[in-house]
Amino acid sequence: MTMPDPVERYLDEFLRARARPLLLTFDANWQLVDVHGDTSIRGLDADGPHTLVQQLQDLFLGLPCDQPQDLPFVELAGGIHAHVHLIPESDRFHLLLLDASDEHARTQVQQQLGNDATLAVFEKTRSLARLRQIRNELEQQRARLEEANALKNALFATLSHEFRTPLTSIFGYLHLLERYGESARDQALSALRRNASYLFALAENLLEYGRSEAGETLLTPTVLDLSVLVTDLEAMFCPLAAEKRLELSVEAGPVPPSDALFDVVKLRQIAINLLSNALRYTPAGYVCVYLGWERDRLRIEVRDSGLGIDAEYQAKVFKPFNRGAQHGACSAGLGLSIVKRLVERMSGLIELESTPGKGSAFRVALPPLVAAGPPQVAPVVPEGSHRSFSSALVVDDDPDVAALLEVLLGDFGMRARIATNVAEAIAMVAAEVPDLVLVDVELPGLSGNAAVYQLRSQGYKGRIVTVSANATESARSAAITAGADHYLTKPLDFVQFARVVQGFAAVT
Amino acid sequence: MSDFARKVCMLGDFGVGKTSLVARYVRNTFSDKYLTTVGVKVDSRSVALSDEVNLKLVIWDIAGKAALDSVNKNYLRGASGLILVADGTREPSLRAALDLALQAREVVASPACVLFVNKLDMVDRWEVAPAVLGEIRRSLAVFETSALSGDGVEAGFIELARKLAP
Ligand SMILES: Nc1nc2c(ncn2[C@@H]2O[C@H](COP(=O)(O)OP(=O)(O)O)[C@@H](O)[C@H]2O)c(=O)[nH]1
Ligand SMILES: [Mg+2]
Repeated sequence: MTMPDPVERYLDEFLRARARPLLLTFDANWQLVDVHGDTSIRGLDADGPHTLVQQLQDLFLGLPCDQPQDLPFVELAGGIHAHVHLIPESDRFHLLLLDASDEHARTQVQQQLGNDATLAVFEKTRSLARLRQIRNELEQQRARLEEANALKNALFATLSHEFRTPLTSIFGYLHLLERYGESARDQALSALRRNASYLFALAENLLEYGRSEAGETLLTPTVLDLSVLVTDLEAMFCPLAAEKRLELSVEAGPVPPSDALFDVVKLRQIAINLLSNALRYTPAGYVCVYLGWERDRLRIEVRDSGLGIDAEYQAKVFKPFNRGAQHGACSAGLGLSIVKRLVERMSGLIELESTPGKGSAFRVALPPLVAAGPPQVAPVVPEGSHRSFSSALVVDDDPDVAALLEVLLGDFGMRARIATNVAEAIAMVAAEVPDLVLVDVELPGLSGNAAVYQLRSQGYKGRIVTVSANATESARSAAITAGADHYLTKPLDFVQFARVVQGFAAVT
Repeated sequence: MSDFARKVCMLGDFGVGKTSLVARYVRNTFSDKYLTTVGVKVDSRSVALSDEVNLKLVIWDIAGKAALDSVNKNYLRGASGLILVADGTREPSLRAALDLALQAREVVASPACVLFVNKLDMVDRWEVAPAVLGEIRRSLAVFETSALSGDGVEAGFIELARKLAP
């Protein structure tokens, strides 16, 4: 299809001007034998054809040079874009470069718009999902705050009542002492003692409640002297029982073995709360207490012939500030909720058996404590488990913190190595797999979460604890998603840290 | 000293960081500006595999797409290795990379393959779970990389170079 001569000439010139063709001819060994066309544009002048030839040779690596080829939009040295065509001819071949810079720029703008749009849609969908999640979290947080607020209000309402009763009585007996002196002394003193003990127990409960709000409370294992506890309880509650004309018996059963340890302070708190609860809600009859070691548990039983609790209220009775749970009572206050929390904190069980109008029985069974606090750990953790949980890697760029953690881990009989960044940590785990990895999130370069992620994706099965200065929920969840077992915040609470490590050692 | 060269292609959806990874590996640079790649850019870097063997990696950085069109298939011809690239913050890009690897097999017989999961510096926003990569690792060398920080990049390219050794 030949066109008239002037058109052919015009077309030829027009297309050449556009494409600015450059032709390089090579022999079969990639020796440049000839160059035609617009050499200036391709920067051939600057350092000769060497760079370009090298690039073209790379471009056709692995491709046959005896077949026509067409590689559109190739970026060459100096940011130039060309369509590269290979045209074979017997024992040599030609590379024809057609300028594509303008076309490249246009295509790039279009493609970029398309890509950006796709990414924007993706980002939008994700942002929406994130917003929805944040809204849910806020909603939950609001509900929690409302609940906490309601609880606080209930607390104050109950408190004023619970404090006022014994205080009224104390003021009353003080008045009696002032007025009648010696003749009222015995009666007044025992009433004062009783009410002071009651206030003391109340204050203890409040403290315990405050601790539970702030987080888990720590257990202190000590040897239990059952007879001391029994005597104390008797002394504390006899006056009140006598005043109400109730029969009170506190009985001690078998003594626990000397290696069975308990948190005695908390144990007392449990017994005191159960007893004062029983005495308070028993108008006539008896209150019986039994404490003793049976079937590897410390058993506490408090029975009364009191008002009893309806079946439907039996679960509610352990909630703080429940109302109307016990017959005739406006509030059970904090006592039983704290008993339940303490029992559970010590891995024990509590049961309630009750018949309205006949009485109630609370039964508590407590296993001895295993161990607590760094100093007690070493002797309590058996030898075998030491060997199976004994090596740690600390990833922290602060040498002081790293050294401190090393010492702490040493207290658990663990040997620690130290890495100061992510790459080092990965390499050290690859060289020798530790039982525990302790990672600081805020590292120079990649974050500690990146180390955790890589360890998990590489199949690391040991324990990972992440430590961070960031106390937000999203930071915590990022660490857990990356694969951490625990997330601790700085400044590091060493007691909590000890508990976490100890927990690992116990199940390993 | 024996020198040889191999063609390797970067394969992955657009925006996952193919161009940035090559820039990090070949020139040790990074830019956070996104300029989509049109066509192909060929770069190279030599790796000393041993005292005697030097491998020149000729790296093809091509326009990213979730599926291979005929132009891209044409670009793949003659390749011996593939670097599959996914973006950890975009879960679909991982599937795209694996899918591209399957499609590439129509053009390249049995390429050496490694998978880069990129943007490790943004790990807090990753959508790919570590266990998923753990699973893929059974059949494919996986590297978590960051073109921004450089982590994992060198190791990944060297691993591919080793697989390409004669
Ligand atoms: N944060 C971060 N951004 C990256 C990384 N790699 C690439 N990017 C950014 O992601 C965008 C796309 O990168 P590019 O290399 O052009 O992706 P390509 O389309 O696969 O070649 C650019 O804005 C880069 O700056 C990385 O490792 N970390
Ligand atoms: Mg690119």
